[in-house]
Amino acid sequence: MDTEESRTEENRAGDAERRKPAISLDRLSSRYRLEFEELSTEFHGKCPVAWNDTHGGYWFTSGHKELFDLARRADVLSNDFDVEGVRRGYQGISIPSPTGERRFRGGFLEMDPPEQRYYRQALNPYLSPAAVQGWKPVIEEITRACLDEKIESGRIDFVDDLANIVPAVLTLALLGMPLKDWDVYCEPIHAMVYTPMDSPLYERVRELQMTMGVHMMETINGIRNNPRPGLIDELVTCEINGYRPDDMEIFGVLLLLIGGGFDTTTALTAHSLEWLSEHPDQRERLSRERETLLDSATEEFLRFYTPAQGDGRTISQDCVINGTEFKEGDRLWLSWAMANRDEKVFEDPHTIHLDRKGNRHNSFGLGIHRCIGSNVARATFKIMLTQVLDRMPDFVCDPAGAVHYDTTGVINGMKHLPATFTPGKRLGAGLDETIAKMQRVCDEQRLAEPVTVRKARAKLDD
Amino acid sequence: MQVRVDSDLCQGHTLCAMAAPDLFALRDEDGHAYAPDENVPAAQEERAQEAARSCPERAVQLS
Repeated sequence: MDTEESRTEENRAGDAERRKPAISLDRLSSRYRLEFEELSTEFHGKCPVAWNDTHGGYWFTSGHKELFDLARRADVLSNDFDVEGVRRGYQGISIPSPTGERRFRGGFLEMDPPEQRYYRQALNPYLSPAAVQGWKPVIEEITRACLDEKIESGRIDFVDDLANIVPAVLTLALLGMPLKDWDVYCEPIHAMVYTPMDSPLYERVRELQMTMGVHMMETINGIRNNPRPGLIDELVTCEINGYRPDDMEIFGVLLLLIGGGFDTTTALTAHSLEWLSEHPDQRERLSRERETLLDSATEEFLRFYTPAQGDGRTISQDCVINGTEFKEGDRLWLSWAMANRDEKVFEDPHTIHLDRKGNRHNSFGLGIHRCIGSNVARATFKIMLTQVLDRMPDFVCDPAGAVHYDTTGVINGMKHLPATFTPGKRLGAGLDETIAKMQRVCDEQRLAEPVTVRKARAKLDD
Repeated sequence: MQVRVDSDLCQGHTLCAMAAPDLFALRDEDGHAYAPDENVPAAQEERAQEAARSCPERAVQLS
């Protein structure tokens, strides 16, 4: 045996020694979805950091404290997805790693500082609480129109008719894209999350994605030639650590913003409405006491349902944290979802308490990669929820028609959530007309300017 | 009681301003928090504690 071989042997023996305790949990299996609470409790008790031997092997962090101590260590963690293998070959934030045509860099979420920091600084002024404040009348109006489309019938699908549409239209508005094109994006973005590549439906999803991709590239070029305010304008003009991002890099950032903006808020809204239908007394209380309960209830739904269940990282240098010996190149999963159920931090963790205090949940992540759209998500969710409470207060979801994602290891989402309610009166124009009007408002008032340029609240009156 | 936000730790989760809107302000450009006045009125102490307890980054410090 030559020296190199003996060193490899030693490494293997060392790996087996340090990769303990070991678990075997396929996050994409139905076991993860169906036994989530039992598994969380078991892991918190005996292995808050464990070596998960599925998907090539990776560290799995479920404990709240352990996750807190790890997630903020940007000095020893990397988000980099080195698709071409020109740096250290790291595989980004997805575990298992994407294959085939899904192998592209997911914007600044798959970058490290300093590039990541330049992107955040450029885009934050479009998505900050002050920026979102200006958009609220628009979000309210789109929500109103979605509900008006269904209010007279007494039937709605909360996913298809509301929670898919409002975040999609708003995200396009923030980007500076034509609002009427929301349906070019809506189906492929949701379907790419819940349709595996070996599904018979994948071919159709792929076609929709191609159409969407072409539309995105045309829009990027269109805005480059004829500037209009919004996130895309920022991306085609900004300098990132001394360079101008090329079209492929901008494409990845756009997919991150669109993917992050659509599917997660939909998932949160659908699950919350489903729970409120099952708990009509709590729904009544939330509606009545919304002044004091809406914030805490929103955080509690975020904690309990954790739309983005976790994120992957790569260890970028050997280190020992809380006794676990990590080696450079090891993969790591930060389970925001399981940490959110840790009984050491959250009393009665598997129950929703609308007035929960000290709710230090991790649903938007921790550290420098905190969800950049968290303020948009909260505002959109609260507006959709309160309008449903006001206009469809007795809604009943149909459990037979509710469809949850088969696999919840990445996004804890829903495909459909039909409900019935006592019909009511329309309040205004339908969705298409409203979207056309909101387009004029966006254009005339330049709503998609960053908050550093424009701070006024949208005015809807003619 | 005094309150301050450690700007190296704050990542703009905004939960402190939700718990105690009178004690915290959020920067326009990125929503990161700061305490315009570090002195906490007695009537606001409970809210200050709730802000500290709910900060996911543990950036809110009381003394």
